[in-house]
Amino acid sequence: MPTDNDDHVDRRTVLKYAGTAGAVGLAGCSGNGGDGGDGSDGSDGEDGMDGGDGSDGEDGSDGGDDAFELGVTMGQMDSGLDPQDHAETNTEIITGQMYEGLLDRDKEGGIIAGLANEWERTDDGSVRFVLRDGVTFHNGDDLTAEDVRFSIRRIVFNDVGIVSPQTNDLGSVSEVTTGDGEVTVSFEGYNPIAFQLFATNGDIMQQSWVEENGTDYINRNANGTGPFRLTEYQSGNVVRYGPNEDYWDGAPAVDELSMTASSESSTRVNQLLAEETDIVTNVPPNEVSRVNSSDVATINSVASARIIFLQMRYDVEPFSSQQFRQAMNHAVDVGSIIENVLNGFGNITGQPTLEGHVGYNPDIEPYPYDPAEAERLVEESGYAGAEITLQTPIGRYLRDVEIAQAAANQIDSLSNVSCELQQREFSSLVQDVTAPNIEDRPHFTLLGWGNAEFDGSQTLTPLLSSEGALTILKNDELDGLLEEAESTRDPDERVDILQEANQLAHDLAPWVFMHQQFSVYGVSSDISWEPRADEFIDPDTATQQ
Amino acid sequence: MSLGRFALKRSLQGIGVVWGVVTVVFALRFVTPGSPINAVAPLDASQETRQAIAAELGLDQPLYVQYGQYIFDLLRGDMGFSYIRGQDVATLVFGRLPATVELAVAASVVAIVLAIPLGVISATRRNEPVDYGATLLSLGGISTPNFWLGIMLILVFAVEFNIFNTSGRGATVVDVALSVVNAEPFVGTLLTWLAYITLPAIALGTYFMALITRLTRSGMLDELSKGYVQAARAKGLPQTLIRYKHALRNTLIPVITVLGLQLGTLIGGAVITEAVFSWPGLGTLVIDSINTRDWPTLQGSLIVIGTSFVLVNILVDVVYAYLDPEVVND
Repeated sequence: MPTDNDDHVDRRTVLKYAGTAGAVGLAGCSGNGGDGGDGSDGSDGEDGMDGGDGSDGEDGSDGGDDAFELGVTMGQMDSGLDPQDHAETNTEIITGQMYEGLLDRDKEGGIIAGLANEWERTDDGSVRFVLRDGVTFHNGDDLTAEDVRFSIRRIVFNDVGIVSPQTNDLGSVSEVTTGDGEVTVSFEGYNPIAFQLFATNGDIMQQSWVEENGTDYINRNANGTGPFRLTEYQSGNVVRYGPNEDYWDGAPAVDELSMTASSESSTRVNQLLAEETDIVTNVPPNEVSRVNSSDVATINSVASARIIFLQMRYDVEPFSSQQFRQAMNHAVDVGSIIENVLNGFGNITGQPTLEGHVGYNPDIEPYPYDPAEAERLVEESGYAGAEITLQTPIGRYLRDVEIAQAAANQIDSLSNVSCELQQREFSSLVQDVTAPNIEDRPHFTLLGWGNAEFDGSQTLTPLLSSEGALTILKNDELDGLLEEAESTRDPDERVDILQEANQLAHDLAPWVFMHQQFSVYGVSSDISWEPRADEFIDPDTATQQ
Repeated sequence: MSLGRFALKRSLQGIGVVWGVVTVVFALRFVTPGSPINAVAPLDASQETRQAIAAELGLDQPLYVQYGQYIFDLLRGDMGFSYIRGQDVATLVFGRLPATVELAVAASVVAIVLAIPLGVISATRRNEPVDYGATLLSLGGISTPNFWLGIMLILVFAVEFNIFNTSGRGATVVDVALSVVNAEPFVGTLLTWLAYITLPAIALGTYFMALITRLTRSGMLDELSKGYVQAARAKGLPQTLIRYKHALRNTLIPVITVLGLQLGTLIGGAVITEAVFSWPGLGTLVIDSINTRDWPTLQGSLIVIGTSFVLVNILVDVVYAYLDPEVVND
């Protein structure tokens, strides 16, 4: 897609001759090709190219005379453009090109400055952000502390505009106050991970723009501060962006960005191989060699912040026995599943916290595959002859059904346990998994959990503490450790506590610890782009090859 | 019964059917396991957040209130609000309808252009190699699943030979027409349009083509054996005139009926083809809405698909009654 400046069919041989006239016309009137109307999609090019491409040079892109168009194809489109009214990754990717938060993350997950360039804790445990100067919204208005206050309140308080599904994402915010170019957020109690939360969540919108426009309008239009501005929105079909020439960090090298979706993974791969798009998400393992063997694209993968596990409810037989749960961990050959089902795209795990996340305990070894030990532990637990059923969602996680099939078979092949598999449609499984009472939740389930905050507590607390929204475990010792971690002000001490909690979780074995999922992208050879651990796609860091 | 009364009667029946569709589609939401809240709220949302979302969306109201409200809104032309997309359902659905209609019409054109000549040739050269070829082709067309055909077409003509686009929609018929009005490069726009629509139209139209070929062939054979054809032959009329003016004309009456009915089927049946080609029509919207549990949009889409089916049926019936007045009295 890069290099040509005709519309998206530019590579079609059949169109080359006919398109020439149009292409010449466009090239003639815009210095670097620009993102002007392409004739077919009615793009209005309203942001008007200013000639220079605004590349800041740091990425080695020379700008040059070639327009740099970039296409991203995902599995699903956004659910509207309101950055605060959704709870899924695809929408975050699409709105995240235009909206930003106070803090941001680098590709490895480290916290970096966003709209705030200074941040600190105050004496009472609140957090103060000093806003960057010279930030403007896409409509040209300056970013103010009041806008930030409004945005945070709109997310966390149900009576400000909308009931946001992100209500809990910023912690228990009690109030937001503004000063001269700064914002202070107070919490109910001490919030040790406030900055981690703000680096992942909390997109900032303009108060007056939100208040003047209705929900339908806000979901079809955008007015953020991010590196890209919206040029065209066709709901469920395509979103097009142009560079924000006034971006505080310099305009991105990409002149025109488009995001589309194909739910069929084979269609995405075909688009990539036909050079109609540059980045495709979730390439299935069986298509990897097809992409790699082509001369137009390669596979680029990264260990993601998502962990896959089989959770076992602590209060029902036979899973009430710790030996039995440990036996299940020995019975499943995770290494072979990663190798054979996922073509190597996975890291074996032995604790709820992933490597690189706060609280990861490097001393914990995954349970080794040892069927004999598993059978011995089952005997010891007193549940020899147990019949269990593993429930798995269909198509929610990379090869979930195949993974569950392999695990269930391996458990079933133990001489003293039989295991069946039950496939469930995800949203009906979610209904059970999120049932208010633990007694109503399924006994044995394959689940995945993304931890975009890169902090162990964000997995341990919701999934394994007694009060967790999704818990299948009640353990006083673990609860105590998590509560301690939540109130500890010394970060190093907190890490120690979380590491201890992970060791305990490993020993208690509430899950069959499976693997860390990989995000597998197909990337055009025309561009250079590195994926991120948190599943977000950042085309502003892509460069032309 | 007069034609007017007949049309009125069929229209009233149609309204009844549409009401049935609306009710069934509405009820489906409540017999399907899994709450729409789960699609909106994150997995670890607290019960308070879930309840607040339910209250905001009106999902905490009793069933009959929700149903009554839904019917009332529909009568005012309001198809509701998609809580997943945060947008008006009517805008979403009617925004997608043209793409689906365009694809269905293109598929019909592909089918008709190929099927009628093929059927005629097949009938007039009965039991010759051409006939066997056409029969084989139509059998193949009927038994090939269109999603498989779609994937194969993409692999061969888009990925391998790079002639057409793999997926998406580049330009619309309206763009093609406007390019003439606005003095834009007409050929370029036309070719863009063709690059995108050709493969999905073939994939969707193949089954239909096979059907029409078979229908035309048997219809022609039937007509050619009738007395008036024999008489025409005896009078020495040229074969071409007999075949194409007289016999084909009579053959086409049932073909047109099937055409009308199939257009409705094509609109509904485009779902899989649209998914394979990422064609931004109602089919893709239906699939997306199912995946995201976007009930209001799913309901809206199904109602529009159902209603267009009913409308086409009524239209075909009325046209048929006009052509053959005896139908009215049956």
